[in-house]
Amino acid sequence: MATAGAPPLHCGIPEEVAIWEILVRLAPKALLRCRAVCRAWRRATSTRDFLLAHHAHQPSLALIYGEDGNSVLIMPFNHRAGPVARLYSVDDALFQASCDGLLVICVHGKHFSIRNPATRQYANLSLLHGFKLLGMYQHSHTGEYRLLLYLSVAVKWMYSALPQVQEGSYVFTIGSGQPPRHIGCSDAEELICIPGSVCFHGGLHWYTNHVIKIFDTTAESFRQMRSPFVRGHARLFEVDSMLGMSTFNGDVDIWVVQEQDYKDEVWALKYRVELPVAEIRVQFGMFEIKYCRARAESCEGDVLVLLEFDDWLLQVDINGRLVAGFHRRGLIRTQVRLKQTLLLHTFFPTL
Amino acid sequence: MATREAGKKMIMLKSPDGMEFEVEEAVAMESQTIRKMIEDDCADTAILIPNINSKILSRVIEYCNKHVPTTGATGAAASDTVAPAALAEDLKIWDAEFIKVNRATRFDLIQAASYLNIKGLLDLTSQTTIDTISDNSLEEIRSFLSTKNDYLPEEEQTIRRENQWAFQ
Repeated sequence: MATAGAPPLHCGIPEEVAIWEILVRLAPKALLRCRAVCRAWRRATSTRDFLLAHHAHQPSLALIYGEDGNSVLIMPFNHRAGPVARLYSVDDALFQASCDGLLVICVHGKHFSIRNPATRQYANLSLLHGFKLLGMYQHSHTGEYRLLLYLSVAVKWMYSALPQVQEGSYVFTIGSGQPPRHIGCSDAEELICIPGSVCFHGGLHWYTNHVIKIFDTTAESFRQMRSPFVRGHARLFEVDSMLGMSTFNGDVDIWVVQEQDYKDEVWALKYRVELPVAEIRVQFGMFEIKYCRARAESCEGDVLVLLEFDDWLLQVDINGRLVAGFHRRGLIRTQVRLKQTLLLHTFFPTL
Repeated sequence: MATREAGKKMIMLKSPDGMEFEVEEAVAMESQTIRKMIEDDCADTAILIPNINSKILSRVIEYCNKHVPTTGATGAAASDTVAPAALAEDLKIWDAEFIKVNRATRFDLIQAASYLNIKGLLDLTSQTTIDTISDNSLEEIRSFLSTKNDYLPEEEQTIRRENQWAFQ
């Protein structure tokens, strides 16, 4: 055999393989450090093609708020990765939307800003005073990042930037310098109260009153989709080219619609997860189902149930086994997911 | 093409050092590269796998054999009859044993998984390397991957300053 005998002295990986199979999978921080290893690595990891591939390999992180002295940390809830953002003495800052590694934050319900935690780029978004944010998406024809907003009658009088203000939904193109554009759809008002939309199949999705509302991000209009009939509140999530929905009534029911069934709106009850109440009580003391919140989420390709109570966030797998527990003072789960990117978005310097 | 065992299609894989491996088509098709060759009808007799010696190729085949979705007598996926969780657990343990190899072999497996495009094997083999790079200093990364530092000291300082927070 060719490799029989002494082990090879040189045990490097060909540069091409190191770059496209190893570096492409690193977390953003580790990748930035690696640019200082050698010129070839820096060159290769700065191209647009590489950065797009790198973004595609990043996990979709579920984020939580947690207190840290007088600041609020926003971090993924696995213990390895550090905080993605730190907000000092901001009582009322909310992560409201996320798309392609970008986060939109709203302070005191009115001041919007956008940031890329991986590149540390940051900019305020003006012209949005009085609007409520419904979601964020990349417009497929233009590649522009846009915000879907809502302006309701109650705050219309506060808003003076537009000559004729109309109630309804608006679209705002980030970096265009233009005020939000009215698109009608005044029945979208109910979506203001539903935190976080789920982006799937070119649309933003919300569950409301036994139907799913979809904002088509290409046509920029609303439509509806059938929902399975469920009792109580339902939450949507996206996993592995499926749209999922979970309800919590003691057990967690998880419904999914496969990509190929999406057009026909065919839902199937995929899992019924019984929470491991006895085990949770042994490990975490007092625990009552009625005082906790539970919903399904995707975690690196798997469906998991996230369970919140006190300052704990627990992960339970679909077989009802406790997988992990995360504790942080002031812990609150955010509704947005973050898939990090080191692409330098050109709109930041223009804002 | 050779056939054996109740019509199961067999494929011959050849390593550059002259060894031949007869494997089930389904097993070989765990590799997206080989799958494409078969689907494009480029795999009539034997497929030569360049750059992957017989020692590494046999380990890759061992991995694919273990990970190919098994089919029962009725043709239904085994995961319908065996509890999927138990199956996944078993695979995890098997993977952990499989990857207990020295660094040179692991690097060879990464290359092989990359060329043959076997996602699971690539994820498995690259993770240790990713962890090493994430947790070590630049000097350690360079020596680990036999990469030479070709920056002038002041250039390296400038690059460090550009993203200072990544070094904290």
